[in-house]
Amino acid sequence: MAECPVCGGTVNLGEDTVEGELIPCGECGSELEVTSIDPVTLAEAPKEEEDWGE
Amino acid sequence: MSTKVGFLHSLIRPEEKLLIKEFESRPGVELIMVDDRKLAFNLGQDRFPFDVVIERCINHSRALHALRLFECAGIKCVNTSKVATICGDKILTSIALEEHKVPQPEVRIAFTEDSTIKAIEAMGYPVVLKPAVGSWGRLLSKINDRDAAETILEHKVTLGSYHHSIFYAQKYIDKEGRDIRSFVIGDECIAAIYRVSDHWITNTALGGKAQNCPLTNELKDLSVRAAKAVGGGVVAIDIFETDHGPQVNEVNYTMEFRNSIATTGVDIPKLIVDYVLRVAKG
Repeated sequence: MAECPVCGGTVNLGEDTVEGELIPCGECGSELEVTSIDPVTLAEAPKEEEDWGE
Repeated sequence: MSTKVGFLHSLIRPEEKLLIKEFESRPGVELIMVDDRKLAFNLGQDRFPFDVVIERCINHSRALHALRLFECAGIKCVNTSKVATICGDKILTSIALEEHKVPQPEVRIAFTEDSTIKAIEAMGYPVVLKPAVGSWGRLLSKINDRDAAETILEHKVTLGSYHHSIFYAQKYIDKEGRDIRSFVIGDECIAAIYRVSDHWITNTALGGKAQNCPLTNELKDLSVRAAKAVGGGVVAIDIFETDHGPQVNEVNYTMEFRNSIATTGVDIPKLIVDYVLRVAKG
């Protein structure tokens, strides 16, 4: 479990969560990035940039 | 001796997570995560502990340059920087398709507002104006008449950075609610989906729904030809069904497939990992 940096809500993480993973906050819907696993830290995900894509 | 795979990434999306799990399930494979936000190259001095790099960046510009730098250091890459260069630029993609006689919608490229208006009107409305670099259906403009053309071109020149003044106009194709996304790995077209949408932009990133698309010999042949035109590897081909037969719209080199595994029943990450490990072994 970790705290959403946007709304302060609780974010549940799976055991297979990896650093850099994008996850949504279930309470406020913000897109978050897992910036560290041990200890778990979350940050608001980077904003979409012009050259993002596939 | 283990195979060392460098996994070039930034944010980890569902596709990256599926690939990580697949690599980690393989005996004799050591996965080394490489976050492009932490990379700093020392040109000519770098020695990397990988046999191969799989590129899964979210930024095209970082992917392109990191791949070229890894290649310069002697590392095999999936995909190659050549593929990233071509697929990351719609103009270069269209040139590659033309040079390999792969059918595509009519395209005009011009560099000023006046010449672009003339090119569009020679082709006939409606057209789709696309940024040469971009993805997920962003900043596409369907232009139905001259008023819209003049307005959009003026906005692009005035508000956009310089590369928004390299104008790529494609004849609009009435897709009747769907297009095809096929997946090619190496020499094989492994699966395809229909992308169904009421909107003229069918990208799943914008809400298009995936449905399984049966693989016909025609679809497989066209897909593999398009893949080879851009340099091969692991790519996804966007295809329009037209009155003149299927035409290739775009080729994507860091393909997304989260909506296509259950839809097609094909284990796409497994096949990608198989291919990367084959490349590593040379």
